[in-house]
Amino acid sequence: MQSPLSQQLMFAQALSAVVETLINQALVYNLHGTRALIALNEKTLTVKLAELGFPLNFSINAEKIHLTTGIVQSDCTLTTSIKTLIELKNQQKLTELIKQDKLDIDGDIKIAQRFAAIAETLDIDWRSELAKRIGDIPTYKIGQLGKSLAKKFSFASEQIQADATEWLVHEKNMVVASGELSNFAQQVEQVTEQVDEVSQRVNKLITQQNNKANRE
Amino acid sequence: MMSAHDQNHHSNNANSDENTTHFGFQTVDKNEKESKVAGVFHSVAQQYDVMNDLMSFGVHRLWKRFTIDASGVRPGNKVLDLAGGTGDLTAKFSQLVGREGKVILADINSSMLNVGRDKLRDRGLVQNIEYVQANAQYLPFEDNTFDVITIAFGLRNVTDKDMALRSMYRVLKPGGRLLVLEFSKPEHEIVNKAYDFYSFNILPKMGELVAKDGDSYQYLAESIRMHPDQETLKSMMNDAGFEQTSYKNLTGGVVALHKGYKF
Repeated sequence: MQSPLSQQLMFAQALSAVVETLINQALVYNLHGTRALIALNEKTLTVKLAELGFPLNFSINAEKIHLTTGIVQSDCTLTTSIKTLIELKNQQKLTELIKQDKLDIDGDIKIAQRFAAIAETLDIDWRSELAKRIGDIPTYKIGQLGKSLAKKFSFASEQIQADATEWLVHEKNMVVASGELSNFAQQVEQVTEQVDEVSQRVNKLITQQNNKANRE
Repeated sequence: MMSAHDQNHHSNNANSDENTTHFGFQTVDKNEKESKVAGVFHSVAQQYDVMNDLMSFGVHRLWKRFTIDASGVRPGNKVLDLAGGTGDLTAKFSQLVGREGKVILADINSSMLNVGRDKLRDRGLVQNIEYVQANAQYLPFEDNTFDVITIAFGLRNVTDKDMALRSMYRVLKPGGRLLVLEFSKPEHEIVNKAYDFYSFNILPKMGELVAKDGDSYQYLAESIRMHPDQETLKSMMNDAGFEQTSYKNLTGGVVALHKGYKF
C-alpha cells in the first residue's frame, strides 16, 4: 500500500511516466528495432517489488510498452525485491531464488522470460544517436568527458570507501576488520572442536561406566 | 467577495428553482447554460492543451495517469471517455484496450472534438477509437454498453449533473465502473486560500495572455468553486445508483477522483 502522502503526490504516476518514457525512447533507438515486442502484444507482466507500495504493470501494445501502477489482470506476476531482480540476470538462479522464497512467480513464466530477453538484447548506439543531433566533435568531447568523469568517480568512490572503513574500524571501533573476524571464526572453530572432543570423552566414560555396572 | 462555501450554498438555493442553474457565479436559465459553456470551449479549444500544462504546471498529466491506473482497464474493454476533449485519456485507453477493445471519445463541443480527433490521428491512434458528439445528460448509447466510463474535468460544465450521472449509470455494464476526475475542495484552509488567489487573480490573466480569452478562464475558476465538494458528489453518485462509491483526493484535494460501480 502506498502512504497517503505518496498517493497525494502521485509518486507512482510520476515514476511510471518517467520509466515508460525512458523505456520507449530506448526501444526507438534499439538497433534490433521493436520487432521483439510483437510476440508479446497485449500481454502484461506485473512486477511487485517489496520496496514499492504499488505494482508495476508492463503492457505491450502497438510496439510500445505501457506502464501502469493500478491493479490489473496480468499474464505473469513476479513478486520480489530490487536486489533479487538484479540477481535474476542470471536465469540459472531462478529455481534457487524461488526455493529461497526470494521470488514468487504467478502465471506464465515464458512472458517474464520474453520481457527479460527484450531487456537483454537492447543494443543502443548512443554515440551515433547523439552525433546525429549535436555533431561528431561535441559527441567525441562528451564521450571523453564521460570517461574522465567515470574514472574520477570510480577513484573517489574507492577513496570514500577506504576512508569510511578506516574511520569505522580503527578510529571508532564500530566494526571489526576482516582479519579480526576470520581470527574470531577460527577461535570459534577451535572451541567447537574442543567441545566435540570433550563430548566424545564424556560419551566414552559413560559407556565404560555402564559396561562396568553391567559386569558387576 | 463571497467565499466558495457561501457561493455553493447560494448555488444550492438557486438550484432549487427548476428552471435556473449556475454559470460560474451567475444564475442563468437552464437552456442558456449549454450555449454559454459551448461558447467558452469553442473559444479555448485550440489552446486547451497548452493552457492545461501552464495552469496545472503539468500536474494534470499525473492526475489523468492516476485515473488510468484506477480504471483497471484491460484488453478488450469498451471505454467511454466522456467530455474527453482533446483526447488525453482516450490516447492511453486506446493503447491499453488493444485491437479487440474500443474507446469512444464523446464531447458535447464540436471544436474540442475536432482538436481531439486531429491530435489522436496525428499520433497514429485510429484503429479502435470512435468520435461522438454527445450531451452527457442524453447519452446516445444502448443500456449496459461500457466497461469503463471516465469524465475528466467535464462534469462541472454539465447543466444537470444528476441527470448526467443517471445516464452514465444506464449505459454502464453491470460490473462496470465510473471514474469522475474533477476539481474539488482543498483539504486545508491554507491551500484553499492560496488556490483561491491563484484561480481568481493569476488564472484569468494567464488565459488573457496565452489564449487571448481572460473571461473563459474566469468562468473556469468560478465553475470550480460552484462544483459540489467531495462528499456531495459522492452522495450524488449514490443517488444515481452507483455502489461502492469512493473518492481519493489528489494534490491536497485540489482535484478528486470519484469512483463508483454498477452491479
